[in-house]
Amino acid sequence: MTPEEISQRLTAELGDDVTSTESSYGVATVTVSAARYADAARFAKTTRGLDFTFFDFLTAVDEGEQGYGIVTHLYSPIHKHHLQLRTVVPNDAPTVPTMTGVFRGANWHERETWEMFGVVFDGHPNLVKLLLPDEFEGHPLRKEFLLMSREVKPWPGAKEPGE
Amino acid sequence: MGLSDKVEVPPPIRFVLNWGRKYSLWVFNFGLACCAIEFIATSMAEHDFIRMGVIPFAHGPRQADLMVVSGTLTDKMAPAVKRLYEQMPEPKYVISFGSCANCGGPYWDSYSVAKGVDQIIPVDVYVPGCPPRPEALLQGIIKLQTKIQNESLKQRYTAEPLTVEAG
Repeated sequence: MTPEEISQRLTAELGDDVTSTESSYGVATVTVSAARYADAARFAKTTRGLDFTFFDFLTAVDEGEQGYGIVTHLYSPIHKHHLQLRTVVPNDAPTVPTMTGVFRGANWHERETWEMFGVVFDGHPNLVKLLLPDEFEGHPLRKEFLLMSREVKPWPGAKEPGE
Repeated sequence: MGLSDKVEVPPPIRFVLNWGRKYSLWVFNFGLACCAIEFIATSMAEHDFIRMGVIPFAHGPRQADLMVVSGTLTDKMAPAVKRLYEQMPEPKYVISFGSCANCGGPYWDSYSVAKGVDQIIPVDVYVPGCPPRPEALLQGIIKLQTKIQNESLKQRYTAEPLTVEAG
């Protein structure tokens, strides 16, 4: 399937819960509402013709004022097509339904995303820290997270990272 | 250890004892990142640090004389490094191998990386580089052996600060 056809199938199923679709480099990117996020993944996995049975990764992006973008990359080994499933959750209540009921492999990805970004995965069976030490405070991949070394000593390079 | 930790042994005996110790360093590789590959390269045929009396590999920290911390030490790993260091019998030595183990290296501002292994355990020799070449580790081992050759057994076993004489 082409990225456009994949987007159309998902839009036909989810209706208004698909907020935007685009395609770049042959990968369909479909943004859905947070409430239907796991449903969209289930539909993509179980629908004949889509068959997104391979869960590649799940992570988040801190988009500042707009909230946190959750990104899941799915792949179909049968049809060899890709899907990037996105949703955006607000900064003050970053909650999204868990995908562990669809892909068991999402378990650790969601735990990591939770500890790094503070995004809560509603219904996750074991939402505890995966990589960080137990006593670690804060969510280090948030842009608001202060790096103490940087506070003490400015970046020694000519340009700030990301400049 | 008996007498040698109560009185300074005469220099000829000290020389022989230290000579024996410095060429029998059972090494314990605390490989934490890519520097460990350079360490392994140093142990293999091309560089072969066994010719300097560094014996790879101790079966565990309790059999080791020398710990080489090679790689990035994270805050989560730090308690394990400290614990295994404490399991090593005296006299024990530590070589910090590579920029990460020395000071955090390229990850100096990370939220998860310790700013050098010397924050948790005493280090005898620092080998700089990212990663250092095997020759640099050989140089570090020679530096450590010079240190062992010149050290006082009495100080070593009474846990007073080590002094290094010029070798």
